[in-house]
Amino acid sequence: MRRLSRLMLAVLAIAVIAVGVAACGSSSSSSSSSTIIRGTTDQPVGLDPAGVYDLPSWDMIVNLYQTVLTIPPGGNKPVPDAAKSCDFTNPTTYVCTIADGLKFSDGSDLTAKDVKFSFDRNIKINAPEGASSNLVGVKSIDSDEAKNTVTFNLKYPQAVFPYIISMQSMAIVPADGPNAFPADKLMPDDQVVGSGQYTLEQYEPGQQAVLKKNPNYGGQYPSKNDQAIIKYYDKDSTLTQAVKNGEVDVGYRSFSPTELQDLRNTDGVNVVGGSGSEIRYLVFNLNLMPGDNDAQKLAIRRAVAYTIDRQAIADNVYNGSVTPLYSQVPQGLEYANEAYKDEYGDSPDTNAAKAELSKAGVQTPVDLEIWYTPTHYGTGTADEFAEIKRQLEDSGLFSVTLKSTEWNQYDEAALTDKYPIFGFGWFPDYPDADDYTTPFWATSSFLNDHYSNPEIDKQVKVEEGTSNTDKRSAAFDQIQNLAAKDAPTIPVWQGGQVAAVQDGVNGVEDTFDAAYLFRLWVISKD
Amino acid sequence: MQHQGTSLRAYLLTRIALAVPTVLILLTLVFLLMRVAPGNPIQAALGGHVSQAEIAKREADAGYDRPILTQYVDYLGDAVTLNLGTSLTDHRSVTSIITDNGSATLELTFWAFLIAVVVGIAIGLVAGRFRDTWKDTGGRLFGIIIYAFPVFFLGFLAQLVFSTELGWLPSSGRASPIVEFELNKVTHLYLVDSLIAGDWNAFWDCVQHLILPAVTLGLVISGVLIRLVRVNLLQTMKGDYVEAARARGISERRVTIHHAFRNALVPVVTVAGLQFAILLGGAVLTEQTFDWPGIGSELVRYLDNRDYIAVQGIITVFALAVVLISVVIDIVTAFVDPRVRY
Repeated sequence: MRRLSRLMLAVLAIAVIAVGVAACGSSSSSSSSSTIIRGTTDQPVGLDPAGVYDLPSWDMIVNLYQTVLTIPPGGNKPVPDAAKSCDFTNPTTYVCTIADGLKFSDGSDLTAKDVKFSFDRNIKINAPEGASSNLVGVKSIDSDEAKNTVTFNLKYPQAVFPYIISMQSMAIVPADGPNAFPADKLMPDDQVVGSGQYTLEQYEPGQQAVLKKNPNYGGQYPSKNDQAIIKYYDKDSTLTQAVKNGEVDVGYRSFSPTELQDLRNTDGVNVVGGSGSEIRYLVFNLNLMPGDNDAQKLAIRRAVAYTIDRQAIADNVYNGSVTPLYSQVPQGLEYANEAYKDEYGDSPDTNAAKAELSKAGVQTPVDLEIWYTPTHYGTGTADEFAEIKRQLEDSGLFSVTLKSTEWNQYDEAALTDKYPIFGFGWFPDYPDADDYTTPFWATSSFLNDHYSNPEIDKQVKVEEGTSNTDKRSAAFDQIQNLAAKDAPTIPVWQGGQVAAVQDGVNGVEDTFDAAYLFRLWVISKD
Repeated sequence: MQHQGTSLRAYLLTRIALAVPTVLILLTLVFLLMRVAPGNPIQAALGGHVSQAEIAKREADAGYDRPILTQYVDYLGDAVTLNLGTSLTDHRSVTSIITDNGSATLELTFWAFLIAVVVGIAIGLVAGRFRDTWKDTGGRLFGIIIYAFPVFFLGFLAQLVFSTELGWLPSSGRASPIVEFELNKVTHLYLVDSLIAGDWNAFWDCVQHLILPAVTLGLVISGVLIRLVRVNLLQTMKGDYVEAARARGISERRVTIHHAFRNALVPVVTVAGLQFAILLGGAVLTEQTFDWPGIGSELVRYLDNRDYIAVQGIITVFALAVVLISVVIDIVTAFVDPRVRY
């Protein structure tokens, strides 16, 4: 037989086998009805609670560990998780009684000493990517094994302390036993042990994590499935393909508006949504923004606030998957109001904007340089800012130059007096209005925007120093109303949580709430 | 022969010695670029959530503000002792990154290379044998077009057709989640590991996941080989010994395969070997398109997070691999082609 013919035949045979393999195969998920496969583009930084302060890591930790208090599914206030009860005995002493009979997944007991150990090591390790800065107000922590209580002694009153200890970075780890966490360094990710609904069976960073139901879980929220696999994708587009092909049961975080629309039109896939507490807002650097004096700068900010059409952004850019936001505190959180709507209305008012500028003697059009980062907050960001530019310029009052840089340069530059006006996003540390006011409007704001209002600072001290809901409500009302008048930031939209779910997968909406955590244990499959 | 052996040995020793400054220059460039680029792992993780003052404090605590020369000396010292360190962002040892993810890249590039060689040589041979016919035109056109296609675009098309529309093959990943979990990874080469385990389900699952990325990458690379084989074949077909073979009454087919083709492959060996080295780095785009968890994908992720420890470690291994492969190519060329002298 000629060699060339034999070569061609060999190639042909390989091709036939390849097609046969392909055609015989199925590209759909082969999971059992008790295994949930979640696809995501969120990559965790780590799995040791003391070393993380990011949403992707928290989405793992909420399934592996317990915290002293937790935000329950659908809720927005901390309730006992590992604790039986918690209360302030005085403004600077917070005492928690740990529930009896709790165990870590390796069978060792979870008691008050483990709680004390977890917080102590968090403070001691002070990991660069960790959240120990939230514990600066803690003077000391005591535990009483006989009573199974933990006492947090605070340096000053902190009404939000229950929220702080419900953060995933404050999860409880074993102090002793075969899987004890080191007291002075982070635990390797593939060796972590917690007392949550799942145990970590496999962790391959960038690839997948496999969680199995923890037989020793003693909490109040047992899992509705036996196993969960989190598959990590590099890009939205690949995740979208995987959902459409049935390779994952749930796709959550993140999809572009176009991809969501595509998924809505895909047979067998349901796009489900719920409340969320992610926000987007504009920031004015009061030193760099245009305006010859404080009055003119204020007028410019107020004129922009009068001009922005939030509903158009929600409809045109995000296809209705976000809602207009009229305060930095998102709707659904206690103490949220709509101060910006009360002050500026819910639709553009060019006449009012013009009057503001005219009264302050500002020449129009005002040159605005607005910065954004194109990918960190999602691929819709460029369209969003193009829409903002269009709205401002269509009013005839502004001339907008848009500029952008990638995140690694952007966030440092924005916070170090490089950008006069810029866009930012925010996910909650905890679902309390304090986490949406102090970081932005207090003089100590991380934004470094040079905004300072002594009355706001005074009200911040009031709300932080009391648990009385009436006093806090009055303080937060004042804070939001004052900030709306000054408009150092302009809230734009609030994002709901949205997931693409295969037919027969239930319960995903149950985890959508202000805490912004993805609890795998609420999901089941037919 | 003894003289050739002596000169080859001297050549190889010189090449290996030259590899040292080559790698040193590369490492220095990587070090400087990573320090000059804005951002760092702490900024990447916490930016936009805590104050810049807090980030600066954490950066100082982590030693990012040490004098640049001190960092450079430590970095070189670690590189020399192959202490590749632990990644800053996800605390993985760089050695495990190389092992786990490097195996994925190796598996992909090996099969892509094989496909490139088979397709490239076959089509190049046909094109050269049937010069100026429709087979030649078709082969050359295919080579140009396939090489011009951006690999990620070809990948997207392949995903759309074979995965989304036809549902024949998975769109991404190295294996199904269950297979990924249950496979006992001995070599981290999934096809090999599944054969070792005797798990045919896992084997077929891994083959299905491998087809699209390997064929995509292999086809693009084959474009180079098609033209190279064709040109070299035409060149050798002009040789006197080929004319002599024809004059002895040997059939054209036998002349092409037995006499011209083998000699035409000699330069192809060199280029193909270099292509393999390039494949290791060029697999990045393919890995990104298909979410193949290779070393290229990890390199992009660590670059994005400014994890300079991981980037430096990966680049070091890349550089050493390319140097090693080019030395091996030189050795193979010397043995295959007696005309080559060092």
